[in-house]
Amino acid sequence: MEERRYRSASGGPIALRARQHSASCRELAVRCPRLQLRSLSAVTSAVWLAAYGLFVLSQNSMVLSAAIFITLIGLIIYLHFVKIDQESLLVIGSLGIQVTSSYASGKESTTFIEMSRVKDVVINEAIHMQKVIYYLCILLQDPGDPQGVSEVVPLFQSSKPRLDCLIEVYKSCQEILEQRKTTPPSNGIK
Amino acid sequence: MVENSPAPLPERAIYGFALFLGSWFGFMLYLIWAYVPETWLFSLGLTYWPQKYWAVALPVYLLVAIGIGYILLFGINMMSTAPLNSTHTITDNYAKKQQWKKFQEEAIPALRDIPISEVNRMFFLSEKGICNSR
Repeated sequence: MEERRYRSASGGPIALRARQHSASCRELAVRCPRLQLRSLSAVTSAVWLAAYGLFVLSQNSMVLSAAIFITLIGLIIYLHFVKIDQESLLVIGSLGIQVTSSYASGKESTTFIEMSRVKDVVINEAIHMQKVIYYLCILLQDPGDPQGVSEVVPLFQSSKPRLDCLIEVYKSCQEILEQRKTTPPSNGIK
Repeated sequence: MVENSPAPLPERAIYGFALFLGSWFGFMLYLIWAYVPETWLFSLGLTYWPQKYWAVALPVYLLVAIGIGYILLFGINMMSTAPLNSTHTITDNYAKKQQWKKFQEEAIPALRDIPISEVNRMFFLSEKGICNSR
């Protein structure tokens, strides 16, 4: 279990941690940098200075209390709904793929995709906000139509690792997904 | 296809000159309408002209429309870009319905859309990368 440093698409530092639990089970977690004190103080000072400017213009002290409330509530909402600390991918060879995002407030949101629905895990490139980015995605198939792609699930959406990190994750996932072809599918879980 | 070439022709020179004269005449008419006081125009007998308000309003409308057009075009482009989770980034109707020609020896392979899984394997899993991906 080691942690390697990479860069995200916007240039920030991220860390990839790969763990192998067994021959057919791997966990890959990408950790984003924590909320920086300097950006937090910059935003807070900007909001409070603007509120103080409004107060000087309008002489209404409610502006100052409103600014304090807005800052506190905005910070709580940001930490709970927006700021993602870690995104992890757990690939279990015969069972499925589990994607977990943990937020800065401790909330975790999990999605599980069973292996019969997974067609492949690929690195796709697409246009996103005036840039072309590489991103890892899971291709889902309809159980009845093994040739077509029914859905695309993008992974690591908020950490947006660059191609070198994505290649590591891709190779790891492909080693497990290849075992699907060599071992015949068990009909126990249906 | 001689008629479709962009070379200068006598007819095109005549059209160009007619447009040049016409646009100068239109500009002079606009200046007269905007600047000459209404009483002078009435004394000449020209009474049925639009309000002079429009001499200022129409150019302003045009410039604001051009400015909004830039922003609108940008926004429409962003809205039409396929989101990251759509299958349009992977395939489309033509690729789904393509026919698979049989491989013949000593012949150039037929053109087809290679599935993304194969492309990924070739780029990222081959031992000596064909593309030098860092």
